[in-house]
Amino acid sequence: MSAKEEALKVIESVLRSGRTALVEYEAKQVLKAYGLPVPNEKLAKTLDEALKYAEEIGYPVAMKLMSPQILHKSDAKVVMLNIKSPEELKGKWEEIHENARKYRPDAEILGVLIAPMLRPGREIIIGVTEDPQFGHAIMFGLGGIFVEVLKDVTFRIIPITEKDARKMITEIKGYPILAGARGEEPADIDAIVDMLLKVSQLVDELRDYIKEMDLNPVFVYEKGKGAVVVDARIIAKAPQEKLE
Amino acid sequence: MVERIVEELRPFFDPKAVAIIGATDKKGKVGNVIFENFRMNKERGIFKGNIYPVNPKLDEIEGYKVYHSVKELPDDTDLAVISIPAKFVPATMKDIAEKGIKAVVIITGGFGELGEEGKKMEQEILEIARANGIRVIGPNCVGVYVPDTGVDTVFLPEEKMDRPKSGPIAFVSQSGAFAAAMLDWAAMAGIGIGKMVSYGNKLDVDDADLMEYFIHDDKINVVTFYIEGVKDGRKFIEAAKNITKVKPVIALKSGRTEYGAKAASSHTGSLAGADTIYDAVFKQTGIIRAEDFEHMFDLAKAFAALGHKLPKGDRIGIITDGGGAGVMASDAVSKFGLRMAELSEETIKFLKENFPPHAVAGNPTDVVGDTDAERYRVAIEAFTKDPNVDAIVIIVLFQVPLLEEEKIIEILADYQKKTDKPIVAVAMGGRKTDRYARMLEEKGVPVYPTPERGVRAMAGLVRYAEYLRKVKGE
Repeated sequence: MSAKEEALKVIESVLRSGRTALVEYEAKQVLKAYGLPVPNEKLAKTLDEALKYAEEIGYPVAMKLMSPQILHKSDAKVVMLNIKSPEELKGKWEEIHENARKYRPDAEILGVLIAPMLRPGREIIIGVTEDPQFGHAIMFGLGGIFVEVLKDVTFRIIPITEKDARKMITEIKGYPILAGARGEEPADIDAIVDMLLKVSQLVDELRDYIKEMDLNPVFVYEKGKGAVVVDARIIAKAPQEKLE
Repeated sequence: MVERIVEELRPFFDPKAVAIIGATDKKGKVGNVIFENFRMNKERGIFKGNIYPVNPKLDEIEGYKVYHSVKELPDDTDLAVISIPAKFVPATMKDIAEKGIKAVVIITGGFGELGEEGKKMEQEILEIARANGIRVIGPNCVGVYVPDTGVDTVFLPEEKMDRPKSGPIAFVSQSGAFAAAMLDWAAMAGIGIGKMVSYGNKLDVDDADLMEYFIHDDKINVVTFYIEGVKDGRKFIEAAKNITKVKPVIALKSGRTEYGAKAASSHTGSLAGADTIYDAVFKQTGIIRAEDFEHMFDLAKAFAALGHKLPKGDRIGIITDGGGAGVMASDAVSKFGLRMAELSEETIKFLKENFPPHAVAGNPTDVVGDTDAERYRVAIEAFTKDPNVDAIVIIVLFQVPLLEEEKIIEILADYQKKTDKPIVAVAMGGRKTDRYARMLEEKGVPVYPTPERGVRAMAGLVRYAEYLRKVKGE
């Protein structure tokens, strides 16, 4: 199956169920199809599955409850981090479901994502939006307060070239943080370039199906050590939906 | 082979015969001003085509035969300029189609900008145009101004609005009022405009068409746009990428829409105002974005004079006869993301050997207030030879007592011709300075009234040169 077919399978099944917002797990399936680095995560439907996956991944693990009605997971307290043992996991399993019910009693629960605890890296955000005149645009910036408060981001119209990608990275004000300010080792810029190009290709090939996208945050590690998409969301659209 | 777009748009800029539909003898009326523009330019020997006024109620204006309908027009008519009320335009378009005229400027307003009824009329006009291979500029515009051929559909009379001389700058404006004001201003500032197009509602001919046309227009070496909105984004990007490989394009973009903030359900969407998207488009296509109209023409002037010798890097050398102005220029260098050149040892040595002890050899080099033209020449000579200098900003305070004005002008002009490094000048002052600035500009040295504006214009050249190196894969 081609990357496009694989990604479309996920998107079309979401659209068929009457939704346009992909949950994190689904969004990451789409990203994975295009070779973007996502953690080794598994969606557990039952507690037994959760215990099995946690064993496979290795403790400590993180749990994230997947529900189309709960897109702001931290507000709903359905993200549990640093779970160190099966006993702890069992307790959190109850708690996470309870929190979800409290937040949205009608929440449909697709499962709980069991994920490895990731080593923190420098946080970046990669996003996609659709402009009515120029089509899809890709955004890049540093994560956290850099995007929230300073809006230190830059855009390009998709598709982009490798040169565009490199220019995006170097032209944000926070670039020195990636290049290695205050004696820090430089971040893996090539990994970011690769991700920007893959997102561009993904959206270019699926432009009739994708409306918006946030990869936020992405952890970028030291030069040569890659990057990983920590959280992601995709807003899909039915292909006939045309913007005026 | 002549490109199709060149063939299609030629009559707008150089018609064999123009029909002025709605021409009248009533002074101050749009149809009268446009007719008078052409008539006067014909008298001056600039407009070489035939002029055919069209008005069912008149037989003659100023000795010109008036045609009662489009049908009666002679067969050599290749451009129609329409200034009759909107409701009559669709029927007139049909006659124009039948007559076989392929280029139409619709000055008349009251179409799509006023609502549904107008939009329907526009649609009807567009259908007639498309079915008959007619190109339309407008409606709701001031149309076209070409000083070389005498085409002038700008309905603001000469006694109220000056026309600029000819030059290598094309100026395209969505807004008619802005276009007219800018032409008037350019005339005063001595900026030459080769072609002006104001397309108003851009029913047919749009930015992309004009960019494609200007690629092939040898008389134009820089294109400036005042844009409010783009209709077909993909076509715009394609055309922009093509032209910027050949000649610089400067855009002043106004108008912000709210769509970004309100329609977004993602983080990215909420950060993407329409303006940020335009920024992206301009960066990706090599269009240089102007902050305001002053910046636009500062850039246009720099490209018009120096487009053929763009800077090879971003290292700026500054020569001044005033310390304060030198500091301002250095500040601007860092503000606009350029670098101060580190002069070579030879340059410093050469300057020290040839300077009196109180002059400052360095970057900036300060020839100080008792300078004559020769001391400037020594500095410029050293800077042009220094491999560490990519571009030179020369501040001339003409007010200093020993500076021979004509001689320094000659020296700057001479080096501008001799060296492949671009030189811009800064002359701060009043009336007398302004006169010398004009003389310098006549000789190919763009002059700016403040160090900041001079450096900012140079930064435009540097950025465009970088873009060209990038697309050419250097």
